[in-house]
Amino acid sequence: MLQNRSYVKRTRGGKITKVVREHYLRHDIYCGAPVCKVCDTSQARLSATASTVLILDTNVVLNQIDLIENPAIDDVVVLSIVLEEVKNRNLSVYNRLRALCSNSLRKFFVFSNEHHKDTYVTDMSGESKNDRNDRAIRVAAQWYQTHLAGSVRILLLTNDKENKRKALEEGISAETVESYVRSLSRPDLLDLLVHPASSEDVIMEEVEDLRPSKKKIVYSEHKPLSEITSGIRCGIYHQGKLRVNRYNPFEAYVGSQSLSDEIIIYGRANMNRAFDGDIVAVQLLPQEQWHEEKSLAIADEENEEEEGVHLVPGSADDVPRTTAQPQDSAGETCSASSRPSGRIVGIIKRNWHSYCGSLEPMAKPAGSGGVAHALFVSKDCRIPKIRIQTRQLENLLDKRIIVAVDSWDCLSRYPSGHYVRTIGQIGDKDTETEVVLIENDINTRPFSTQVLACLPPLPWSVSSADLANSVREDLRQLRVFSVDPPGCKDIDDALHCTALPNGNYEVGVHIADVTNFVLPGTPLDDEASQRGTSVYLVDRRIDMLPKPLTEDICSLRADVERLAFSVIWEMTSEAEIISTRYTKSVIKSSAALSYVEAQARMDDSRLTDPVTTDLRNMNTLAKIMRSRRIERGALTLASAEVRFQIDTETHDPLDIGMYQIREANQMVEEFMLAANVSVAEKILKHYPLCSLLRRHPTPTREMLEPLLRTAAAVGLNLDISSSKALADSLDHAVGDDPYFNKLIRILATRCMTQAVYFCSGELSPPEYLHYGLAAPLYTHFTSPIRRYADVIVHRLLAASLGIHRLPTVFQDGPQLNSIAENLNYRHRNAQMASRASVELHTLIFFRTRPTDAEARIVRIRSNGFFVFVPQFGIEGPVYLTPRGEKGSGEWFVDEQQQKIRKMDGSISYSVLQTVRIHLEIVEPQPNRPKLELKLL
Amino acid sequence: MEFVSPEGLRLDGRRPMEMRQIRAEIGVVAKADGSAMFEMGNTKVVAAVYGPREVQNRSQQLNANALVRCEYTMANFSTGDRMRKPKGDRRSTEISLVIRQTMEECILTNLMPRSQIDIFVQVLQADGGTRSACINAATLALADAGIPMRDIVTSCSAGYLNSTPLLDLNYIEDSAGGTDVTLGIMPKLDKVTLLQMDAKLSLDTFENVMQLAIEGCKAVADYIREILLENTKQLQYRRGT
Amino acid sequence: MVGLSIGEKYFIQGGIAQDLRTDGRKRLSPRPIFVETGNISQSNGSARVRIGATEVIASVKAELGRPSALHPDKGKVSINVDCSPTAAPMFEGRGGEELSSELSVALQRCLLGGKSGSGAGIDLSSLAIVEGKICWDLYIEGLVVSSDGNLLDALGAAIKAALSNTGIPRVNVAAGASGDEQPEVDISDEEFLQFDTSKVPVIVTLTKVGRHYIVDATSEEESQMSLAVSISVNRQGNICGLTKRGGAGLDPSVILDMISVALSVSERLINTLDSQRAAAEAGKDEL
Repeated sequence: MLQNRSYVKRTRGGKITKVVREHYLRHDIYCGAPVCKVCDTSQARLSATASTVLILDTNVVLNQIDLIENPAIDDVVVLSIVLEEVKNRNLSVYNRLRALCSNSLRKFFVFSNEHHKDTYVTDMSGESKNDRNDRAIRVAAQWYQTHLAGSVRILLLTNDKENKRKALEEGISAETVESYVRSLSRPDLLDLLVHPASSEDVIMEEVEDLRPSKKKIVYSEHKPLSEITSGIRCGIYHQGKLRVNRYNPFEAYVGSQSLSDEIIIYGRANMNRAFDGDIVAVQLLPQEQWHEEKSLAIADEENEEEEGVHLVPGSADDVPRTTAQPQDSAGETCSASSRPSGRIVGIIKRNWHSYCGSLEPMAKPAGSGGVAHALFVSKDCRIPKIRIQTRQLENLLDKRIIVAVDSWDCLSRYPSGHYVRTIGQIGDKDTETEVVLIENDINTRPFSTQVLACLPPLPWSVSSADLANSVREDLRQLRVFSVDPPGCKDIDDALHCTALPNGNYEVGVHIADVTNFVLPGTPLDDEASQRGTSVYLVDRRIDMLPKPLTEDICSLRADVERLAFSVIWEMTSEAEIISTRYTKSVIKSSAALSYVEAQARMDDSRLTDPVTTDLRNMNTLAKIMRSRRIERGALTLASAEVRFQIDTETHDPLDIGMYQIREANQMVEEFMLAANVSVAEKILKHYPLCSLLRRHPTPTREMLEPLLRTAAAVGLNLDISSSKALADSLDHAVGDDPYFNKLIRILATRCMTQAVYFCSGELSPPEYLHYGLAAPLYTHFTSPIRRYADVIVHRLLAASLGIHRLPTVFQDGPQLNSIAENLNYRHRNAQMASRASVELHTLIFFRTRPTDAEARIVRIRSNGFFVFVPQFGIEGPVYLTPRGEKGSGEWFVDEQQQKIRKMDGSISYSVLQTVRIHLEIVEPQPNRPKLELKLL
Repeated sequence: MEFVSPEGLRLDGRRPMEMRQIRAEIGVVAKADGSAMFEMGNTKVVAAVYGPREVQNRSQQLNANALVRCEYTMANFSTGDRMRKPKGDRRSTEISLVIRQTMEECILTNLMPRSQIDIFVQVLQADGGTRSACINAATLALADAGIPMRDIVTSCSAGYLNSTPLLDLNYIEDSAGGTDVTLGIMPKLDKVTLLQMDAKLSLDTFENVMQLAIEGCKAVADYIREILLENTKQLQYRRGT
Repeated sequence: MVGLSIGEKYFIQGGIAQDLRTDGRKRLSPRPIFVETGNISQSNGSARVRIGATEVIASVKAELGRPSALHPDKGKVSINVDCSPTAAPMFEGRGGEELSSELSVALQRCLLGGKSGSGAGIDLSSLAIVEGKICWDLYIEGLVVSSDGNLLDALGAAIKAALSNTGIPRVNVAAGASGDEQPEVDISDEEFLQFDTSKVPVIVTLTKVGRHYIVDATSEEESQMSLAVSISVNRQGNICGLTKRGGAGLDPSVILDMISVALSVSERLINTLDSQRAAAEAGKDEL
């Protein structure tokens, strides 16, 4: 089978070395057509009835991947040379193409033309790499044409004029993508086409007609790559990833390694066509231009979008990032800003993908049915508007659609893109939920058969082998019970508490033994690792593990035997831990309680049954532990979580209210914290370099600045020198009204960043600190059904007990890191999705229920203020002056006291003040409902 | 990195169970008592055998057995990056030792007491699997020198990348950080005489990988026998018998 | 190295005196030479030369480097020879080093000219890319695989053949770099410039045994020599270098005589090399 070989010579950068690789050509590469009489057709993927088989040129794959993904394009031969070129040019397109090739529903066949004896082409002298590859594509097309002569038409799709010309000369039928799609007579497919640069001028022209104002260069030209690389090397430019402010798309940050501080980019002109996530080259502006910060009105001048009503931020990551800059740019600003600002001179790597959103409302074009130009507005306000062409404008105006970006010329104000697909009607709950999921990159696909194949056969029960296993302790005799939110099906923790004869207590935390079923390296494990976490939406849960595991096999339900991983302490009645042991176990939960039930039992003094006694004992212990933790400086932070009552039939929200936290919640939480801390200590002791821990960085003074300013305005002095000091001063912050303290805590919470997972080898021990919990070490161990981090920690703990060997991935630092990064990303996205889902339901709730409510002012702006509505846990702007008339001078802001005053002094509003507002859904533009807050 | 494409082809177009092209030539060093060149793909080595002859350093003489010595050298141009290596570096010494021990095991040294056999192995080009190629070349050179042996020794490597066992790793695959098992067997006696492995592997996978390497060794053995037979026929022809 | 009896020695010497050498050759007829090029694929150029039982391999590797301050307009060439122990057990360990360095120095003298590099058989200025900043450095490595005399001539021939086989990528220098900065270099991987090797000399060694001198001595014959003169001559008939080895004195007139003999032998050798190379390349094209 081995054929003759030829040498592919290559030079590698820097030191030039000639690399020689063997290259075997083979007889046994088949064409993939079932009609073929010569080839082995067992691996054939093309359909037997295909009249036309397409061969795609690299440029077609790179530019038209959205079109190719459409099921209308099928029976495609993907050449290995094309795959290779695509891989080098754009990895994400490569992955999409690979997914198509492995999708059993699609008929994409990979033909390894580079290793086929008849289709391999040797380099010709004086031929560029590109020309050589184009030739290889033509040779392969030619081969197919003769190989399948008569039975099938072979069509080469290429947008490269030269390649097409040569192909036709060589007798290969070839077409451009446009003409092929046109020949399919499917107008909706035409929208998916990316228009090649050549026709760009025409589009520009037409669009200019629509917007006659601009016919000038909007953005400065990007510098050529060679100049950028040399610029970066000699320090003129800085390279980094651009992050656009989630709440103000005109402000972005570039964290650069060559500069300790991050660089701020103000305005679209300075951003120079860069998107969020792009790797860019930045040039610093001269220092005197560093202060030109825009005044922070609620809505920016250029920004036609208004800031809407949102949920109350849960942490600093959800809050608009504003610097400690006072709003009136006239006076004292000069001293303040020492943060470098810059402008983008070039884009090193684009982060373009497709975006969810809708078209900007516009008048229907006169000649409907023809090609129309429209502006697409992404849901993610960090993304600029995108200009697209469509033939189905009328259909799309009231839809949520997905659009991909193709190019952004420096002559055009907006980037150009193309339509990818429609999600559904705007405002429809299912549509909007799907938008939320897509926006947050959440995988909702059903689990694949390979993944499901990893599940144990159902119905599953604890086997005698499990009981006989020497590492597994039989704890079925213990009185174990679980306490969870009502209706919880994925119960991953259970507790027990037994009084010992010596007056001490034995307290156990039993966690579902997920790693007994999710074995490292299996498809199930890979999938869970990718998903990272379960996602909880208001009316839906997207599981990390398949349902049988989540709800049955792993779930520690009542009255069934389940496998668990237990942490068992002996505690004194003063809640001092005397000893800790860890073991795999078999348990049988005697009760699955809800928080409400548990609380009711504890409160009902008539009850003296064993479970209730255990609950009370535990609660006593938990209270001591809690007070001790607070003593150490743990912050009791508050969040304004809301719960909906959902109509069981329509799934629409019926009522909305703040989530009530009971003692029972705190009790369970306390033991989970203790288990996590104990496990963190154990795994770190055994694996100081590869443990997965969770840390919460100490907030900087700058981050706490908004809190301090607000507090100062109401005459409160907060000590932020340590978490302990802050906790104490928060405790002392008692105002006149009962809600004051909670409000301050909510404000404090949103100043903190989120806790993150990390690999212990990456940081030094002082950095392991969890600030919020005031714990020097922390990890996640207690929810392996819904968090992958816990699965990893379970494996670490099992390995440290000698139960299993540590999977090899733990030896691979970079890979472990990338897992931690992915977990952080997924965790964050899951939270964003939950919030978005709550926001969506809030909107639906108020659609039919205009309401008056009490609200608290949390931030002052030049034309109004932001209020927080405790009852519904939402936050939004209240305008004092109509939009567009800001700065009319009627109102002025007192920065020091955080007040906004009417010029004549008649009315003033100050921060934390209570106001009554009216909440109502309005539709300023068709199909764009939003919640409006008005002062009463 | 992807070392085996979903189509089941390795970077150089081989399938996981395929060896590179092998080629051997006997008698490349005319002055030596026995010599051979062995190529596995781009890996090319020459082995020369001198002896059995008088022991050069009397103090090393063994009264019951022949003294087997081995030296492994790499030409300066044998690797992609040009580097002047001092002779007798740690790696060369180790490989010399490995080859010597492996060959000593199969030479009937007791038939040639108080004599010395020198095996010199010169790597002309290295592209992964040099150890195996050296042992195969040395076997051929010993046979060419007419030195009595229990059996021929053949060697081949196998590795484990992208969750696939791969036969006969080339340099890129070898340096990918996966496992590399180098195996030497005496095919007639069905004994493993050399086994080296780096990195880790679960027991099940190891068994598969080792089985694959054994298959490889057997294929090399078949080829080497063919070459020896051909060579003998040539000699016979030249003698005119 | 070669243990010869007195009888054998007389036989060799006597044969040479009578112009009939032990292997049947005349004094001035060389053994047939076989050349194979490009066999070390990882090098930029390579050749294997076999003369009788002598076999050598030469490899040329090119790297980008900085020209020396003394000769900013010239590239650098280094020649180094190793003797593999496969050639003879005495080369084992460090045993081959003395001979290796003797051969290296002789080759440098014959091919590279003096310190200035002006008399070199290889045109060093063709290796310069940006004066004073970038040039090609050629690393020529010789390896003796099998030894049966006349190593120097074999190595010389192998190097010449390897150079003619050498391809170097084309280099584009980014304009605009000024001052002391090292300019950006862009290396194309397809276009390979071939060297002009027509001026590269070959080496002819005349070995004096008794009162006569012979070309292309075998190792037995070399063991009987009194002195040897190696003359490097290029196609134009110019002498590019000259080395005398061995202790015995030599009459100046004999030297001139030897040179004229070397000239005629070299012409035949160069022709053989060229025709062999042409044949090899023609064969390659047919593949």
